Amino acid sequence: MIPGNRDTRDGILFSLPFLVVFFFFMVYPLLFGLYISFFKWNILSSPTFIGWKNYVDLFRDAKFYSSLLHTLEFVVITTPILLLLGFAMALVVTGKSPMAGLLETVFFIPYIFSMTVVATLWAWIMQKDFGIINQAILLLGGQRIGWLTDEKYAMWSVCIATFWWTAGFNMVLFTAGIKQIPQEVYESAEIDGANSWQRMTHITIPLVAPTTVLCLILQVIASFNVFGQVYVMTGGGPAGSTRVLIQYIYETGFQYFRMGYSAAMSYVLFVIMLIVSVAQYAVLGKRKEA
Amino acid sequence: MKKRIVFVFVLLLTIGILFAQPAQETSSSDKPVELTFWSLFTGGDGEFFDAMIKEFNESQNEVKMVNSMVKFDDYYTKLTTALAAKTAPDVVVCHQANLLNYVPNGSFLALDQYIDKTTLDDFQQEPLNACRFDGKLYSLPLDVHPIVFYYNKDILKEAGITTLPSSAEDFIKDSQIIKEKTGKWGMLVDNTTGTYKAYTLTRLFFSMMKQEGGSFLTSDNKKANFNNEKGVAALNFLKDTVNTYKINPDQLDYDAAMNQFKLGEGAFYFNGVWATGTLETVKGLNFGAAPLPAFFGKEDWAWAGSHTLAIPTQKNQDPKKVQAAVKFIEWMTAHGELWAKAGHIPTRKSVAAKDSFKALPYRADYVGAAQYAMPSPSTAAWNEIYGTSSDLLEAAVTKNQDTKTALANMEKVVNEIISKY
Repeated sequence: MIPGNRDTRDGILFSLPFLVVFFFFMVYPLLFGLYISFFKWNILSSPTFIGWKNYVDLFRDAKFYSSLLHTLEFVVITTPILLLLGFAMALVVTGKSPMAGLLETVFFIPYIFSMTVVATLWAWIMQKDFGIINQAILLLGGQRIGWLTDEKYAMWSVCIATFWWTAGFNMVLFTAGIKQIPQEVYESAEIDGANSWQRMTHITIPLVAPTTVLCLILQVIASFNVFGQVYVMTGGGPAGSTRVLIQYIYETGFQYFRMGYSAAMSYVLFVIMLIVSVAQYAVLGKRKEA
Repeated sequence: MKKRIVFVFVLLLTIGILFAQPAQETSSSDKPVELTFWSLFTGGDGEFFDAMIKEFNESQNEVKMVNSMVKFDDYYTKLTTALAAKTAPDVVVCHQANLLNYVPNGSFLALDQYIDKTTLDDFQQEPLNACRFDGKLYSLPLDVHPIVFYYNKDILKEAGITTLPSSAEDFIKDSQIIKEKTGKWGMLVDNTTGTYKAYTLTRLFFSMMKQEGGSFLTSDNKKANFNNEKGVAALNFLKDTVNTYKINPDQLDYDAAMNQFKLGEGAFYFNGVWATGTLETVKGLNFGAAPLPAFFGKEDWAWAGSHTLAIPTQKNQDPKKVQAAVKFIEWMTAHGELWAKAGHIPTRKSVAAKDSFKALPYRADYVGAAQYAMPSPSTAAWNEIYGTSSDLLEAAVTKNQDTKTALANMEKVVNEIISKY
């Protein structure tokens, strides 16, 4: 603290531009969303107050539940696999391989592509009649698989595209976590006769636990928010079997013009995610201090 | 001292920039009125539409139309938000089926006072009346685009089929012959969601209901009306082509159906007239086009959409811009033969009579379909009904569900949806 400087005043002034934008584009819409969820509103006319009706309706809406289920399906499939993939990639990248630097770039590059580009690309690769995956299968003498048009595979296909796209982000987090582990710990373990597998399971994994917890919480939140890849690759199909909750929220608000109902569903999703995140932090955060 | 001079200089410069103005333009009377338009037309449609705008701009000096293309999926979201903020462009295109989302809340100007009677009479009355609400006209139809019937002439020749099938039984019989003699698919109707929903499947279902003398919803649009023998006949046909007779591929999405036809893998393809423009560009594809046949009954009713041009209400409506917008809309509809190059059917009788229109291949073959064009039911619930029915019909066809159960379930769901609006 330098005497004579008015740090508080300067601090506020510097943060002001961001805070203004943050308030108008994040805080205000958040509060407005809650407000409008108690109304019936088709965007272009004035809203009508209907109290809790939107919430009551959504708890009786079969499509709400099926969409929530599809989102949960996505979360359950992608979270463990993305953590594992990120961790495995980080191990390779922090290891002794001469290709480590190149691989780090290769693993991370997919993450910088926009969601639409990735989804469109994968949609064509997995296309049933003309996509290259099926062309390769045909060449090997097999039958075409409806990656995106068969209910058995559609969700997994979207997940696979997601793995390719976002695993790199987890890799970066885990790499930072692994690099924080002091080399001496590894060296003393090696002297004591631990092989690389034991070093990984008894040193790396426990010491990287804070990163794992962080990654887990972020990954769960991100997976709950899934919309883009599913919408572009399968449109929620086949026959609505991959429609995730955010897609239903979007359709209800912007295609069916029922903004109040859409806002109510967003808030229910928000509460669900809040509970999950807090629970994760409470359970896993404590272990960090033990 | 120096610092202070620099500071004052920078301050003056900044203030100067804040108050800077562009050079005064020439007096507004010689400048053409500039209008903005948002186009949802992409691909082939987009190119033809842009060419029309270019010709409009070149044909006169009073109005200049500036067009910007919006990705089709985002168009209505962007339009809705712009209308809510009253920052919409001067002219917009709006599908007839979506007019009901915008007209009741006053988003579009009523056009009755701006268009003279001779112009109005030149329009085909069915599509024009579909743009009227409470007796007032809110947009002018640029085209009518029904589902039509495309057929591969080479495959038919190889299979020895000389007359086109018209009834449902004919289609099944002919497709089976085609399968035997050529190994190709008879029918190409989409039945699953890919990038797009299985639009054709759902639209065929609506069309068949009307062909049978029924309708998808009751005439007041308050209840589902397809859980009866008519619905059963239609759904059975759509299901059986895939599962029983195997003359239509399973798990076929919209893009795949189009591609199969382009590659000459199927004989009978059903899609909207907008496909004509793309199909024409495929080398070696020897195809024909005809209005949708009456699978059931005698009348060739076919679901049809319609692109209409409307003028959004603005906070400060400029009468000069409104006049210019009307002039633009009238010119575009009067030159429908240019738009017909994309495959669409023009809505003005004067256009259909032009030699340049009659000379266009294929379009002349199905221009008669405009008579039996069936618009979507006029209800605010329509988007949700359409999307949900599409999912349910897809499931019924691809999973070969029991027809009566599937229809009963669909009726329950559709009625529930209607009750929410």
